[in-house]
Amino acid sequence: MLMPRKPPKGFRKPHHPSRKGRAKGGTKVAFGEYGIQALEPAYVTNRQIEAARIAMTRHIRRGGKVWITIFPDQALTKKPAETRMGSGKGSPEWWVANVKPGRVMFELSFPNEAVAREALTRAIHKLPMKCRIVKREVGEA
Amino acid sequence: MSEVRISAEPRTEFGKGGARRTRRAGKIPAVLYGHGEKPKHIALPGLEFAAHLRRGGMNQLFQIEMPDGTKTLAVPKALQRDPIKDTIDHVDLLIVRRGEKVTVEVPVVLVGEPAKDGLVVHDLDTLSLSAPANALPESIEVSLDGLAVGAHITAGQVSLPAGVELLTDPDTTVVTVIAAPTAAQVNAELAQAEAEAGIAKPESSEQVAEKVEA
Repeated sequence: MLMPRKPPKGFRKPHHPSRKGRAKGGTKVAFGEYGIQALEPAYVTNRQIEAARIAMTRHIRRGGKVWITIFPDQALTKKPAETRMGSGKGSPEWWVANVKPGRVMFELSFPNEAVAREALTRAIHKLPMKCRIVKREVGEA
Repeated sequence: MSEVRISAEPRTEFGKGGARRTRRAGKIPAVLYGHGEKPKHIALPGLEFAAHLRRGGMNQLFQIEMPDGTKTLAVPKALQRDPIKDTIDHVDLLIVRRGEKVTVEVPVVLVGEPAKDGLVVHDLDTLSLSAPANALPESIEVSLDGLAVGAHITAGQVSLPAGVELLTDPDTTVVTVIAAPTAAQVNAELAQAEAEAGIAKPESSEQVAEKVEA
């Protein structure tokens, strides 16, 4: 499962990252032929990323390649159940990628377009936001 | 590539407010510069410009006609798009002269099928070329026919039209054919990933039938 190899250099229990705005980069398909683009902001956990990757790989089987272009490098904390308020911030519970609208999260290269689209649709079902399938544009700036 | 005539009008208001008003009027804010001339801020007809780019690609040569009758040849140098709506936000147009050599990024298009069990990895999307402004190639085709697993094509091996010079490093890899993972490798990798993620393996129809009977 994806997560930072070393503990974060900054704060161990940071505030929730901002969900405002749009993706500043990574908005185009760069490696494969097709991609999944986020249309809403969301925190995507490493489990969701892995579930989407497995769903995609299971459908294409072989003859294709998958790229994951987001990384869950933000820790989110949670207080234990039935705990009174106070006594400090909870412990890190999830690793998430802070995804903003427009971000291409997964890319896929596969010779058959219909199979590739079906694989990406299955992966979209594992993700917590509205997404769309985008295709690499020839000569796009 | 043939040139396309497009009428433009000068822009009088600038900044994000002015640019947004221009976009709301169905126009694209643009800037025209090059050859030591003072940059001109113009507005292009949105739908018409987008349609020409769709047909002719990013290296379409435009003849910009201003209301005062001046005509300028230009090629798009940079394009800003809205990532969600896919509309064009702003265009940089570079002034060129007929026959003058300009540096452009030309997309690489892969054609043909590599050898069996090969997986194509497209390493380089565009080639940097120097070509006459009135004969800019729309795309460069690279044939994959018969390319064996492990083989690759470098920028220097790509055949270019006459009068076009390659500026990209000739040793840069454009496309590689790698061995596709076998079914056993894929299954082993998926089983390991599912075990780590705690996802149950999908049941076969026989297993489901057995459960129903029990």
